[in-house]
Amino acid sequence: MRKWFIVFSILLLAVSSVAQAQENTVTLTLAGFAVPREAYGEIIPLFQAYWLEETGQTVIFEESYLASGAQSRAVIGGFEADIVALSLEDHVTRIATAGLITRDWQDNANNGTVSASVAVLLVRASNPEGVTDWADVVGRGLDVITPNPATSGAAQWNVMAAYGAAYRGFVDGYSADAEGALQFITALYTDVLVLDADGRESFLTFERGIGDVAITYENEYYAGVNAGNGDQYEVIYPTSTILIENPIAVVDVYAEKHGVLEVADAFVAFTYTPQAQAIFARNGFRPAYERVLTPSEVEGEPDILTLVPTVELDEERFPPIEDLFVIDTFGGWVEVVPTFFGEEGIFTRMIEEVKG
Amino acid sequence: MAQAVAHLDNGASQERNPQMMFWGLRLSVIIYLSVMILMPILVISVQGLRDGWDIFWVSISRPVAWNAIWLSVWTAGIMAIINIVMGTTTAYVLVRYRFWGKGILNSLIDLPFAIPTLVTGVMLTLLYGPQTPLGSFLDDELGIKVIYSQTGIILALLFLGYPFVIRSVQPVMAKLDIAQQEASHTLGASQFTTFRRVILPALLPAMITGGLLSFARALGEFGSIVIISGNIPMRTQTAAVYVYAQVEGDKMASASGVSLVILSIALFTTLGVNFWYKRNRRVNRERT
Amino acid sequence: MKERNLSFGGILLLAIVLIYAGVLLLAPVLALVSNTFQNGFEPFWNAITDGEALGTLWLSIRLAVLASTFNAILGVMVAWVLVRHTFWGKGFLNALVDLPLVISPVIVGYVMIVLFGRLGWLKDFPIKLAFSWEGMLVLTVFVSLPFVIREIQPVLSGMGKEQEEAAFTLGATPWGTFWRVVFPAIRHALTYGIVLTLARSLGEFGAVAVIGGGTQGSTESATIYIYRSLNDRNYAGAYSMALLLGIISVVILIIMNNLRIHKRGG
Repeated sequence: MRKWFIVFSILLLAVSSVAQAQENTVTLTLAGFAVPREAYGEIIPLFQAYWLEETGQTVIFEESYLASGAQSRAVIGGFEADIVALSLEDHVTRIATAGLITRDWQDNANNGTVSASVAVLLVRASNPEGVTDWADVVGRGLDVITPNPATSGAAQWNVMAAYGAAYRGFVDGYSADAEGALQFITALYTDVLVLDADGRESFLTFERGIGDVAITYENEYYAGVNAGNGDQYEVIYPTSTILIENPIAVVDVYAEKHGVLEVADAFVAFTYTPQAQAIFARNGFRPAYERVLTPSEVEGEPDILTLVPTVELDEERFPPIEDLFVIDTFGGWVEVVPTFFGEEGIFTRMIEEVKG
Repeated sequence: MAQAVAHLDNGASQERNPQMMFWGLRLSVIIYLSVMILMPILVISVQGLRDGWDIFWVSISRPVAWNAIWLSVWTAGIMAIINIVMGTTTAYVLVRYRFWGKGILNSLIDLPFAIPTLVTGVMLTLLYGPQTPLGSFLDDELGIKVIYSQTGIILALLFLGYPFVIRSVQPVMAKLDIAQQEASHTLGASQFTTFRRVILPALLPAMITGGLLSFARALGEFGSIVIISGNIPMRTQTAAVYVYAQVEGDKMASASGVSLVILSIALFTTLGVNFWYKRNRRVNRERT
Repeated sequence: MKERNLSFGGILLLAIVLIYAGVLLLAPVLALVSNTFQNGFEPFWNAITDGEALGTLWLSIRLAVLASTFNAILGVMVAWVLVRHTFWGKGFLNALVDLPLVISPVIVGYVMIVLFGRLGWLKDFPIKLAFSWEGMLVLTVFVSLPFVIREIQPVLSGMGKEQEEAAFTLGATPWGTFWRVVFPAIRHALTYGIVLTLARSLGEFGAVAVIGGGTQGSTESATIYIYRSLNDRNYAGAYSMALLLGIISVVILIIMNNLRIHKRGG
């Protein structure tokens, strides 16, 4: 009896190890924010082909696209994504703080930024309301569409874009300081008609004919164009707007647990390759921008920050912005989130008063 | 015989050991219900009150939070009132009269029970959205915004709540004693007076049960509201949507706080339902 | 109340009811139908025979059937205990049974995470319940909990204990008593309750959406698929699945209605 048992076990072991060798498949779970779903939809097959050729391993992808904040919270709560590609840095930082990312995910050429975009204004075809810049959006009874900052990273970018433009003096009628900026976003959010849960939903609401002007991402506009709806709306580039930088990171705790750390790292590296960046560009995303500091010619003045795209841009498709600024202007997301969007945040309190 | 029967009730005299089985059954049921139902209540209470009563109070008395709670309550309330009226009328028509298509109408009423709330939201947007002919007509001509307004919220809730009153009232109405109505008629009362004095009092418990149930159901509605209301804080953001936003923003204190309040209201309402239901049955037993 | 033919007043009332029900219930459904078929039948057919779509439908059906089975068995047990037994706290527990009907799905999802999430109270629970198929099952069982119980309770209390006790004195086992005496009496109510449970489970959206993390193709139910398709601009897919779920619901409705006639008559 025992002899048979041993023989059987050995056979089983042999069979299973052969099966293991055959079954060279891994599964990667990607948690993305709402907006780049099409881009990743194209990048993933390319990566799968590349990895198969390089290592003979088949990679199966499980994708999830949700509002950035929601996705971040899900990952922290136990959704075991191996890679996160979110809307803003803070949402990844949260995951790192929760102990799920133990490496310095920003320690690469692009500071962890895989794609970028700019906040733009979207109006109906032939611009019936004659919107040319931020100032035209407020005080005229226009219905504004923008997502909800509580759930959407895109929405927080939009708030800071508007705030920043006013703060830096590029919105007529508002003083170039904190007070003026606050007055501007107050005026803006008074006119908001719908607060959707994420950037994509907000854009779709506008696409369905609701509202007069939408604050959205440039790449969302291009996604709409790619879907064949470009003739329904027009994009207006403000003189001053924020550079939206989207981070990507490997959640190494989960990736290690699933034994896919190597593939995950490879995928993230792949997203920086010209191939992948071209796909991002085709989907309306800008590449990461470099921060170049040049000392000011005037003594005592701070260094001048110039933002330079890491890849040359087609200027017709991605026009240069007169005053492009980054979240660093306000201390980075680590400062902005509590100051603006915390329980007693500037924005939080503003919306209570405005709509009350 | 009756005494022997009463004896058996305690499971006392058994060669067959059902007493153990009954106890086992009772215990498993209690454990099951406690786990499934008490757990969520416990979790919310602990989360909501974890930082103390003052933090709890602060988080729910914040204008946005309080506004969301109030919006949920009053829209559900208005809906319940309309529902009681229309539901009773519908039940009356279904019980009282014969007509072609009655079966179809009867089936149609259960529709809201079966349709996913998300689909309800989608359908309402397809029908009343600002870009639809109906929606723009209502807005331009009558100044009524259905989608992205409080009106839309009430409309969605009416859709969801329709079956509750009807199904509560129907069986009671069907069993109503015809004799009393005839008596009232022969004594000269008009149909309306008969309705008011004889029929209505008998139906009242069932009407209230149904109304309260639809109210409690409406309080927690999320799937359809999040699509059609616009979710503007202080205007069209209901408590359920507010909790959602707070949870997503990692603001657990206010999420739990508001959840606890809504849960308590819903709990009180279901206790009320239970009370009326018992009274309903008692009233009807007296009548049959 | 006896049925009678329409009087003048009756016609008036009927008209009011038909207009109300028509506008409230029928019109939105018609809007969905017309939008789904606005480009003909083919887009609808392609959408519902799409592999991914069918996969989500299959997941939803599996969840609904499993949840209904579980709730049927446990529902009968709970109804029995609540009707036939007396114990301290019974009234309270009985009232609580309605809770799943009225609780917001957001709260349900949130509680699941607090309990079973990575840092949850029960984080070391042997089965992974957050962001998983099994968790969705637990959720579905929870939200459809009351239906069977509430349908059976009135029947049980209406029939009284006499028959069961008679069976006992005549020597039947508890199990035999159940099958021969109790079950036939509650059969229709039980079926009706199961049908309600099925319908409710198929339509569950809120709690699952809140938990999030729904990965396309594995923890995606039919309702999440609709939501995702809307965001993908796959309107044909979204409306078609919505309509399909609606059709399945209507079929369930018809069964419900036929059973109700039985229940009242039988």
